[in-house]
Amino acid sequence: MQIKVVMAKLGLDIHWRGALVVSRMLRDEGMEVVYLGNQFPEQIVEAAIQEGADVIGLSTLGGNHLTLGPKVVKLAREKGVDALVIMGGVIPEDDIPLLKEAGIAEVFGPETKVESIATFIREHVGKTIG
Amino acid sequence: MTKTNVNQGAKLFNQEVVREIEAQKERWKKETVKGKTGDGEYFSDSGIPVNLLYTPDDIKELNYMKDIGLSGEAPYVRGVYPNMYRGRLFTVRQIAGYGTPEDTNDRFKFLLKNGATGTSVVLDLPTIRGYDSDDPEAEGHVGAAGVAIDSLEDIEALYDGIPIDEISSNIVTHLPSTTVVIMAMFAAMAEKKGIPFEKLSGTNQNDFLMETAIGSSLEVLPPKASFRLQCDAIEFASKNLPRWNPVSYNGYNLREAGTDAVAEVACALANAIATSEELIRRGNKIDDFAKRLSFFWNLYNDFFEEIAKCRASRVVYQEIMKERFKAEEMKSQLMRFHVQTAGITLTKVEPLNNIARSAIQGLAAVLGGAQSLHVDSYDEAYSAPTEESALISIRTQQIIQTETNVVNTVDPLAGSYFVEYLTKEMAQRIRDYISEIESRGGLVACVDSGWLHREIADFAYQTQKDIENGTRKIVGLNYFPSEEHAGQKVEVFRYPETAEAKQKEKLKRLRQKRDAKKVEEKLNVIREMCHKDVNLMPYIKDAVLEYATLGEIEEVFREEFGLWQFPLA
Amino acid sequence: MNEASSYFEKKSDVILGKLLKEVENQTANSIEILRESSARKGTAHIVGITGPPGSGKSTLVNKLCKTLAKSGIEIGIVAVDPTSPFTKGALLGDRTRMQELSGLSNVFIKSLATRGNLGGLAPTTADIVQVLDAYGKELIIIETVGVGQIEFDVLEIADTVVLVNVPGLGDSLQTLKAGIMEIADIYVVNQADRPGADESVRDLKMMVREKLQENWEQPVLKTIATNNEGMIELIDQIQRHKEFLLHSNRWDEKRKTRNLTRLNHLMIQSLNNEVDSYIRRKQGIQIKIQQVKEGKLDPYTLSDHIVEQLIKKHGGM
Repeated sequence: MQIKVVMAKLGLDIHWRGALVVSRMLRDEGMEVVYLGNQFPEQIVEAAIQEGADVIGLSTLGGNHLTLGPKVVKLAREKGVDALVIMGGVIPEDDIPLLKEAGIAEVFGPETKVESIATFIREHVGKTIG
Repeated sequence: MTKTNVNQGAKLFNQEVVREIEAQKERWKKETVKGKTGDGEYFSDSGIPVNLLYTPDDIKELNYMKDIGLSGEAPYVRGVYPNMYRGRLFTVRQIAGYGTPEDTNDRFKFLLKNGATGTSVVLDLPTIRGYDSDDPEAEGHVGAAGVAIDSLEDIEALYDGIPIDEISSNIVTHLPSTTVVIMAMFAAMAEKKGIPFEKLSGTNQNDFLMETAIGSSLEVLPPKASFRLQCDAIEFASKNLPRWNPVSYNGYNLREAGTDAVAEVACALANAIATSEELIRRGNKIDDFAKRLSFFWNLYNDFFEEIAKCRASRVVYQEIMKERFKAEEMKSQLMRFHVQTAGITLTKVEPLNNIARSAIQGLAAVLGGAQSLHVDSYDEAYSAPTEESALISIRTQQIIQTETNVVNTVDPLAGSYFVEYLTKEMAQRIRDYISEIESRGGLVACVDSGWLHREIADFAYQTQKDIENGTRKIVGLNYFPSEEHAGQKVEVFRYPETAEAKQKEKLKRLRQKRDAKKVEEKLNVIREMCHKDVNLMPYIKDAVLEYATLGEIEEVFREEFGLWQFPLA
Repeated sequence: MNEASSYFEKKSDVILGKLLKEVENQTANSIEILRESSARKGTAHIVGITGPPGSGKSTLVNKLCKTLAKSGIEIGIVAVDPTSPFTKGALLGDRTRMQELSGLSNVFIKSLATRGNLGGLAPTTADIVQVLDAYGKELIIIETVGVGQIEFDVLEIADTVVLVNVPGLGDSLQTLKAGIMEIADIYVVNQADRPGADESVRDLKMMVREKLQENWEQPVLKTIATNNEGMIELIDQIQRHKEFLLHSNRWDEKRKTRNLTRLNHLMIQSLNNEVDSYIRRKQGIQIKIQQVKEGKLDPYTLSDHIVEQLIKKHGGM
């Protein structure tokens, strides 16, 4: 089955390089990536619902990962969306356990190979998280 | 003899000598290196072919006085000031900005007490993107990556007790829409304090590329509108704030987003060209404003290319100002630039290696003749710098300034066959890229059509592919990959989380006590003027004096200019 | 009441999203969903927006729907982007240009990848539109890929086709002339603040005069979508075309033709599947196919033979 990813820049975070490069490379890995640009959790979950996303990818370097990241998972689960939620960007190591506890399946730092993100997605899509 | 008496035909090297070298070089290739030069296989970061050996024949076309010259004279290859760092060392900038304006004011006072000679402030994301702290979109960002500014009250609090008529104030405003409001607030504050505008000195960033191409956001003004605001700020400053640098063309963030060194400089120069054309259309003279334009470069690890870029950018700028715009004053033709080392080259694995990278990049900046420098901290891939890592950055600059002796003579790498060749080559590639932009209708059109976004995205994508397949080697990452776990613990800086509540409370009080009718009136004037061919700055200043907020003014921009859809993906 | 039917009763975006996902992926469940939606087909006006790359289709759809949504009508948008023929992946970016529509409860956007289809739409576009229609959407906008080739697929699905062009795209106009140019119902010159807009309008009007549709003179409009200019006029013309279709019976005719086209597509698809599974099972035929491949047997004879065998198997003729 074709994997569909909804990719968003979280909130007001301005750096789009990482999100777009990962989107293009996931496309190269054979996935369909809906690029949303900047969005807040409500709109990200709305898009995931409409698109039937298997994966929600969140990118942030702006330091809003703890305030907005868990909100995406919470809203998604409330609406019955079981998509895998993953995050990438500059995120302090100490915060990763907190994000995982909140239902973010994995956090990818600046030097992650996109190939390994794709592998992670393939291994985890379809298994309901959280 | 005056500079105008230069013998235009005089070449750097005697042509007889060049012919002899060329002949000897052919022999050397065959007999000594035995054909194995590897030429055609080595490239600089931006794709310039690099030969095994450079000799005078590689720069045989150069005319020393015309193409290189002396320091403080056109074409400024060797530096914009005659005595460069002997006259004034490059400025060590330390940026502050977090929490409420009161928090940052405390930090300013601390830094000034400890020897800082000016203030430099970054703003939080809601302020940069034109939202008040009580806007739902600001949630989670207030006072986080910079200081929150909502109204004139905040600017007054930020600079409370700071002698703004004596020391310079650097404000990292990024976007034109932010710049016009913050600059208006700054001027309004001075007005209220009775400080004449001539005494205000400082810099803000003000680049429409930052608003429309480099950074993405939820609500973006159309490039034309952002560019108009950029020009409004520059024009207002050139007429009213003679010591203010109203723009720092931001090659830096463009490069971070994804371009090579050539496009970095070419886009910034194309923006300076567009600005000059627009201000001249408005009836200004080039010498009225050109001397206040400044630039901001990003230096990667390709040591010689980056130095050559700094030198080449000065030549191309001088050409543009002198030949295209007929600038007469010397100050209108010399390019001053700030350098920040490349955040994107820093790795999360083995973070201490970043100290070495930043030091090499910082050294290149000084050898390239930068006017001011910011050395990135080694922990940038984790978070904002801690006090410890920020100190290492300052120490790195101080080591370059004092222990290396590189500042003792002007442009020490001049005359290197390789550096002069690269400088010539970079200059030509920058000119070509500017031509490409102009053939597409100029920089504003290139942004509007999404062409620049595609250039950036393609470059970033290719770079990532090159890293993943090992073509581009990064130590500790894909070259001798680190054994240690990539995400090792580094102490990270935490922002105060109380700023949001405090700012909201202040806004609530402000909205109660100000004259709501007057605010509405002044906002409506801006609304009307958005559609006229006038400078918006005076009207914005009137509005901030009535305590109209930054978010309210920018909402007028969004409503009147409309929102533009970021052409990405 | 079966399961699929109950889904259609509930009217929630979450459920609609799940139904569309099944249909998009052509899962086993999708047949039941489509059967149910076919019975429930509503009365949506289906508008196709097509045009060359760079004409600003997404931005136009964004501004158009932003204005339309204010009236409270239920809007469905289907935005199609190309699938990479090499990786089978796709980057669907139309939503970035429709950010102003997010958060509007009466707008539902679905992005589709062409997944190998060449006619400018995704293979399941008609199915997706049908489900949106059955779900009560009153206006469904389909944005085609717009990669330059002639995109005929949208003509089969849409009631009203809007062709978006920009000034100075002379070459693409030439290519379009040959095809869809003659069949669009409304022409738009977008980015009309660019030089050459009036010339483009004049050229288009001339072309329209040569290819007048029966009782419908195709209007040529100027828009500047980025500034929200010309949207009201475009909405008026779309509405006027809908009324024209309704009054001239074309509305019903189009639907009848569409039903037949659909039947044809389904038959061909079923036959293909049937042939595929039949020849895969028959070893003797596999050997003969190999002979055709090597040029030892002619393809005409084998083809006739396979079809005959297949019909016999089903006891026909």
